[in-house]
Amino acid sequence: MLKRDNQFVLQTETEAPGFRVELRGTTFRLVATGAWTISEAAVLDEELKRLKVPIPPSSEFTGEMDISGIAEIDTSGAWLLQRTAGAWQRGGLKTRYAGATDSFRILIEEVHRRGQGELPEIDQIPPLQQFVETTKKSATSIWQDTLALTSFLGEVTVAAARAVREPWRFRPISFIHHLDYAGLRALPIIFLICFLIGAVVMQQGVVQLSYFGAEVMAVNMVAILSLREVGILLTSIMVAGRSGSAFTAEIGSMKMREEIDAMRTLGIDPMDTLVLPRVAALIVALPLLTFMGDIAALVGGGVMAWVMLGLDPPLYIDKLQEIVSFRHFMVGMIKAPFAAIIIALVGCLEGLRVQGSAESLGTHVTAAVVKAIFLVICIDGIFAMFLAGIGQ
Amino acid sequence: MIVEEGQEIVIRVRGLAKSFGTHQIWESLDLDVYRGEILAIVGGSGQGKSVLMRVITGLVAPDNGVVTLFGQEEHTLSEEARLEIEKRWGILFQDGALFSSLTVLQNIQVPMREHLNLPQSMMDDLAFLKLSMVGLRPEAAHKYPSELSGGMRKRAGLARALALDPEIVFLDEPTAGLDPIGASEFDHLIRKLQQTLGLTVYMVTHDLDTIFTVCDRVAVLADQKIVRTGSPAELQSKPDHPWIEEYFCGERARAASPAEERRAVS
Repeated sequence: MLKRDNQFVLQTETEAPGFRVELRGTTFRLVATGAWTISEAAVLDEELKRLKVPIPPSSEFTGEMDISGIAEIDTSGAWLLQRTAGAWQRGGLKTRYAGATDSFRILIEEVHRRGQGELPEIDQIPPLQQFVETTKKSATSIWQDTLALTSFLGEVTVAAARAVREPWRFRPISFIHHLDYAGLRALPIIFLICFLIGAVVMQQGVVQLSYFGAEVMAVNMVAILSLREVGILLTSIMVAGRSGSAFTAEIGSMKMREEIDAMRTLGIDPMDTLVLPRVAALIVALPLLTFMGDIAALVGGGVMAWVMLGLDPPLYIDKLQEIVSFRHFMVGMIKAPFAAIIIALVGCLEGLRVQGSAESLGTHVTAAVVKAIFLVICIDGIFAMFLAGIGQ
Repeated sequence: MIVEEGQEIVIRVRGLAKSFGTHQIWESLDLDVYRGEILAIVGGSGQGKSVLMRVITGLVAPDNGVVTLFGQEEHTLSEEARLEIEKRWGILFQDGALFSSLTVLQNIQVPMREHLNLPQSMMDDLAFLKLSMVGLRPEAAHKYPSELSGGMRKRAGLARALALDPEIVFLDEPTAGLDPIGASEFDHLIRKLQQTLGLTVYMVTHDLDTIFTVCDRVAVLADQKIVRTGSPAELQSKPDHPWIEEYFCGERARAASPAEERRAVS
């Protein structure tokens, strides 16, 4: 902001920002006063827009921007003056400035010179076309996602095969680190959730089955359901939310800061260092977590059975041994490595797809969690059909 | 408003102390910034150049001492008064610190949108004006920060710092990471904008070329305080401190300094 250096004008005497237009002889004058700064710009802009461009009766009429009354000016003020002067000029008035100090003149000239260009237009797409295009994009994205995930699975498999042949490629420290983060540290929350769900299902089962006088059958329901479905599903969903998102965020922010490019140029394969340890860690961690989730659900159910049915722990365990066979347990456990591969692959792939902005990171983290949970449930459905088909 | 010897002091720092853990950065730091000058803060690494900028702009609280901004003591300010003062300065962070999910044009409009109620068309025109004042081409307006080069990001950051026509701009290493041609262009840009807009410029820099071409005054941070202030030529001709001697009379300084060049020719 530039101030007019006038020792005689006290702060209280400066006029309010504004202007008036007058005709003196053959000169249309716009007399500007006060502070023409950005805080006043909105008001000045509105008033200047209402101002009609004077129509010169003959060619000897000229225009003048008298700015001797302006106490302060900044680029927005200069721009407003320049816009008005430009409009007058185009209307046939030769317009000049009067009363500018040196510093004011430098600013106005700079604004005039810089304001010449045109802002490039953004291509506006009509709403209908936009709608069609978004629909098309999201429809094709399903196919593209499938392709990308499949090819990524291929890449990871190749990397894993290579790591088996050349074991020095594998990063044990990174593997242990992720095993700790995604596995051990997820234990309390998974135990708690499965315990509570086991208890709730038992309680609801007892209430509903009591209409048939078959309360004890609730134990069958909880045992089979926990081992076959609830344990693995709850654990996968928790791990997808907890670790899948973390994988995307970690790899994505590395991508944003060009760390992944740096790795490639140093001859380090991000597949070996970033993706493989994560995938391997989840393949080990998820079955273990599922096992703990199964146990927690059975314990939760047992507590509820004791409270509601008076089935004390030794009896409950006896009953479980009677109902549960090893294959029920295996039906749940066999799904765990598949869920682990899906969660880790989707998390890492989305991370590698992050572009430069923070918004993109958020989008991909969300996508990673949503896609992982969706695919885990799909896989669960496919397994259910397959196992029913082979009579398990 | 504090006026001393006919010059208005826009920022006054007195008795500033700050430590991180056991590491004492400054014990008692004094500094004045005069209106309309280009002041460079120099000092070895770890002397707290960037921290000083952060303390003055209120991002970091000092352990002790008083910062006076435009005649008002910083720690006594109410929320509204602080906001009013924040409108009077612009800050260029080291890598621009542009918002990555907004285009360059939108980035420049952020301060206008937050603090003022301007019509969109006017914001567009003003932002475009600022864009061209910092020497960016119109094509850059709709690009995202990740699509810009380092030099362009700095320029866009400067345009955002200038969005509200501030009285002071803080520049954190404005020429770091630019090639010599780009750095020299940036120096001239700063000088030009300072003259056109009547800015006060406070910059943290290492760049001797910048110091000798555009700075009016240099403040040297060493020994946990500002050990000396003066024009670059003064500091070079009378460096009464080992660090200043090394900095202003070293090999690089001789290459950058116009005075030394003249001496060598004559």
